[in-house]
Amino acid sequence: MEIYLPIAGMSINFFLILGIGGLVGFLSGLFGVGGGFLLTPLMMMIGIPPAVAAASDSNQIVAAASSGAFAHWRLGNVDFKMGLIILAGGIFGGTIGVQFVKVLRAMGNFEFVMKVVYVLMLGLVGGAMFVESLRTIRRSMGSSAEAAAAAPVSEPKLSKLFVKLPLRMHFHRSGLHTSAIFPFSIGTAVGIMAALLGVGGGFIMVPAMIYIIGMPTIVAIGTDLFQIVLTSANVTLQQAFVNHTVDLLLALILLGGSTIGAQFGAVAGKRLKGEQIRILLAVIVLAMTVKLFLDLVLTPTDLVSLAAGKGGGH
Amino acid sequence: MKRTVILLLVCCLGCFWGASALAVTPEAQQKVVTSASKNVVEIGLSYSGDRIFFFGVNPVPGSDVVIKLTAEKEEAVKLSMKGRVGPFWMTVKQYEVTGSPFIYKIHTNKPLDQIISKETAQELELGYDAVRYKMKMHLIRGESAPEDADVVWKGLLKIKERANLYNIVEDPKRLEVAEGKLFKHYFRFPAAATEGRYLVESYCFQNGQLVGYGKDVIQIKKVGLENWLTQTSKNQALFYGIMAVLIALGAGLLVGVIFRKGGHH
Repeated sequence: MEIYLPIAGMSINFFLILGIGGLVGFLSGLFGVGGGFLLTPLMMMIGIPPAVAAASDSNQIVAAASSGAFAHWRLGNVDFKMGLIILAGGIFGGTIGVQFVKVLRAMGNFEFVMKVVYVLMLGLVGGAMFVESLRTIRRSMGSSAEAAAAAPVSEPKLSKLFVKLPLRMHFHRSGLHTSAIFPFSIGTAVGIMAALLGVGGGFIMVPAMIYIIGMPTIVAIGTDLFQIVLTSANVTLQQAFVNHTVDLLLALILLGGSTIGAQFGAVAGKRLKGEQIRILLAVIVLAMTVKLFLDLVLTPTDLVSLAAGKGGGH
Repeated sequence: MKRTVILLLVCCLGCFWGASALAVTPEAQQKVVTSASKNVVEIGLSYSGDRIFFFGVNPVPGSDVVIKLTAEKEEAVKLSMKGRVGPFWMTVKQYEVTGSPFIYKIHTNKPLDQIISKETAQELELGYDAVRYKMKMHLIRGESAPEDADVVWKGLLKIKERANLYNIVEDPKRLEVAEGKLFKHYFRFPAAATEGRYLVESYCFQNGQLVGYGKDVIQIKKVGLENWLTQTSKNQALFYGIMAVLIALGAGLLVGVIFRKGGHH
């Protein structure tokens, strides 16, 4: 069944998009991390123009994150104060990011920059996760005494540095006392990336909140989801307004697939061990990295390609 | 005085030159009566291109038939050329190509070069050589190289042919001419053929001379939801953005309520 996407300007199989949405939803349900970082590259692989893929995924993330945030809010896992400060940074960063996309698209190198950032981010996250989960698996094979010694809990050093900065605040839910500049700057960095990559940034934000800011894991996830709803809403709005690249139809089909997939993923997740899940995710992320990296270094089959923003005509 | 005479002479020569250059005027020929299976194609939700049948009567029985499909508007496209920068492949230059048709398809009942001369082909813009001759390209970014003209043309042709926007079929089976008089064929409009007016021109040639000409206009337009979404996203971008966000929020909260646990981000 073919469906015509009005903004992407192409006809594509409805079930292919639903299936990809479902697959990404399944993975995010299974791993409890964002699907956006997988979704955008997959959309590009099936021929959706990169800018439309990124913008429409942001739109889809609004929906995916809001259902998660809703659940966490009811469980009391959302630190609104922290979330809002990160959000302020996120909106600031997202606005810069969208302008950045505009300039890059005009220069014709959007795809290149996007792929480089992806390769770096995915390689880093995938590699770190792979090493960490492999260690956990090895450790569980060895003696438990060794395990205790091998798991040093490192004090977040950066957070100590930020405590001395002005604008100090108390964050009740997170149980933290730190400068507001800290979460703001992290929000800015992630906001820029969210616009560039069409991701909510959860896969960078959650580790940053846990390891850099020092928040409890569950509060980090809940707060992250809350701020992602607002950040990706802002990115969607900006993309729609500045670049006209949000394909609502595409976003809705993806959303349908991912919500169904997420439910199956959550069920499957209960049957696997944590480190097994993480190593599986690491392998997927690394495979994606290799594919994107090869795109950058192998001789392309087509040296000439259509650039975005054609003037006049059709 | 002498000067004026020379000037006049030059002018006259110029006029003759101009007149001879326009020797082949399609509209002045006998009309090829044609009929299309439909003249309006609507892009709805399930649009994935369309096939339109054409029938025509050859005014000079036995003459050769050449049919051309183009878009009414010419397009300006920006093409990026990749090159090696260190270990990476990235866009190193961009060309703007103007004067090339958005869509270009030709059906003939035998090879084009056996029907008309190169000059006639160029004049009537029939065949890839004619398209290339008319196309203009200029560098927007990067440094030009002598082989660029060739690379850009081949690249554009590849993109267009792959999208099924350009093709030339020189086959009597594809363009049937029954008893030299009645011809029938179809054009496939690919999904990439977006809104606009398209021209289907039928040319009849006898011994390389144009003896008949006919023209059909096919209009493609988005309708219903497709049209509304496209128009809104362009003309009321802010409203469109807010709507997109609200729909996504609503859908997300609905799912959250239905599944209780809600989908993880």
